[in-house]
Amino acid sequence: MIICPSCQHENLDGTVFCSDCGMQLTGIDPIVTQNISEEMAELTEDIKTAVLPKDLDAWASIHLVDSGQILPLADRAEFTLGRISEAQPIMPDIDLTPYQAYASGVSRLHAVIKHEREQVYVMDLGSSNGTYLNGKRLKPNTKQILSHGNMLALGKLKIQILLENS
Amino acid sequence: MSTNSDYYVTLGVSRNATQEEIKQAYYEAAQRLHPDKNVADGETEIFLDIQQAYETLANPKRRKNYDATLLPAEEPDLPVKYKVYYSRPNLVRMNEPQMLYVLLEIKPQQKSDEIPAPPLNVCLVLDRSTSMKDEKMDVVKNAAIKVMRNLRPQDIFSVVSFSDRAEVIIPAAYSFDKSKLEARIQMLQPSGGTEIYQGLQAAYDEVQRNASSERVNHIILLTDGHTYGDDQQCLNLAERASKQGIGISAMGIGKEWNDIFLDTLANRTGGSSRYIARAGDIQRFLVDKFDALARILADDVNLDFKEIPGVELAYAFRTQPETGPLPLEETVHLGPILQDTTLNVLFEYRIDPSLTKGDLIYLLRGSLKLSITALPTPIQPIQIEFSREVKEQADTTLPPPATIIQALGKLTLYRMQERAHIEVEQGQFELAAQHMKQLATSLLSQGERSLARTALMEAENIEHMQAFTEEGSKEIKYGTRALIMPQEKEEPL
Repeated sequence: MIICPSCQHENLDGTVFCSDCGMQLTGIDPIVTQNISEEMAELTEDIKTAVLPKDLDAWASIHLVDSGQILPLADRAEFTLGRISEAQPIMPDIDLTPYQAYASGVSRLHAVIKHEREQVYVMDLGSSNGTYLNGKRLKPNTKQILSHGNMLALGKLKIQILLENS
Repeated sequence: MSTNSDYYVTLGVSRNATQEEIKQAYYEAAQRLHPDKNVADGETEIFLDIQQAYETLANPKRRKNYDATLLPAEEPDLPVKYKVYYSRPNLVRMNEPQMLYVLLEIKPQQKSDEIPAPPLNVCLVLDRSTSMKDEKMDVVKNAAIKVMRNLRPQDIFSVVSFSDRAEVIIPAAYSFDKSKLEARIQMLQPSGGTEIYQGLQAAYDEVQRNASSERVNHIILLTDGHTYGDDQQCLNLAERASKQGIGISAMGIGKEWNDIFLDTLANRTGGSSRYIARAGDIQRFLVDKFDALARILADDVNLDFKEIPGVELAYAFRTQPETGPLPLEETVHLGPILQDTTLNVLFEYRIDPSLTKGDLIYLLRGSLKLSITALPTPIQPIQIEFSREVKEQADTTLPPPATIIQALGKLTLYRMQERAHIEVEQGQFELAAQHMKQLATSLLSQGERSLARTALMEAENIEHMQAFTEEGSKEIKYGTRALIMPQEKEEPL
């Protein structure tokens, strides 16, 4: 018997994909859910030593934790985050659609990241599922200072902020 | 037939064939090649060779004497080769049932260019019921005209239209004066109901008149509606067509048609069925279909096998060239092998624990029967076996072969929607909705956003209306089925 780690469905031995939820059961390392909130401090340490992409004038980068992608923010002082949806004229500066934004509950215009007087801020733009900074929900339309290694969650999409000058 | 081949090769049977099998092979050959029946030059000579072979082999005493003169069998020079992939290197001795997946890959051999492209004998069956009016009818007409223009001089083509009765628009013939025939198609006017049997019967008559083993004999049905009350007649007709080497494929337009019925119909003959969501796609699908028919190497490949106690064949699915589940009978119609594309079929086996007492388990012992469409000579059935050793421990170090993972990963999605359908039928709406949501998640993680959205909408519909929508259910069924198809075409061999 193989018990699916994702939905606990009991599959017969030799099953390759869970017959209930479709998760791959054999031939890959089992995926273990990790609780990251406790280890924030360590994680931040790790990131500090990590090599940032040397983009010329990037003042910050956003690290999409689930996909490992790092997007540098450069050239202007303000970036809106969201997802492009068909038949809607809303165009966020950074489209998070390729990173499962829809499934994670990211609004079309979700949040903005600003660079003002040597500080980096985040502001929720009245999103449906909220923006969380280190696990705490932000008040909509209120600026909040970001520091290096801060974890943001747009709905369920986790983003880590990496600052250039730290 | 070359003079140095032996009687067994001539007759297309293996050396350990029973007398019954020899008789059967002879009768089958006689059906096609007897001087009263055959159509092409040289077939009488082939038949005489076969008769000579049969006369010797049918008599056990003469067969024994003949066998004594035979040299050991050479590796037969087959037009196809097969390869078997297993999901696990071995089975495990245990007290509970276990699963094994087997991928059968049948590859045309390199020298396929020596085999000419087969001429076609195809009938188009066009639905002209009232529901086809306006755009759909026009698109269908244009598509029919387009494929007719593409025909080669050696192809036989016919068109039948039907509503509650059928008319032969173009009788089966070589199409010389195409512009005159085009005008006849242009005159089609939609009116009346949808009685598919009427159309199929007329098409069957057209194709059968010129049916021969070296042509691709095929009926292509285009419809947008349900048929009422004549389902069983249609299926019986498909059965008859299959015995005569006539294939049936179906294309359903829009959301109204009965997909389960058309799938079953096509499956009876090894044909395929497709969902055409937008009328604008009809022409492309139809041209592709004709293109595939003209590239056929072996028309209908059959897998014959006897059930093995304790081994349950739970599922069989063709992943290439055209995807679709295969009916599980003692003879499985695997469908055609194209000259440049392998035929892939995935089998799912459930193995009873009682069998694991032994050291070796056979999952399948059978034979592949096929004939090369462009060549009239019979081919020996290809013996085929699936077997695995039984060990005490599972060898977990090796992941399943990539081909299996790939095919199975996508197939899992198709089967999730299949199961949700069963759950809806059984009234387990909550479960069905939950499974459709899981399907949506899996689709999303594979980047299939629009299908995922449809799956979510269907989940909602099941929650509120306790049913799938006609459109959404087809989109998901054929959408997940299309995912299984390899994205890139193989390089021609």
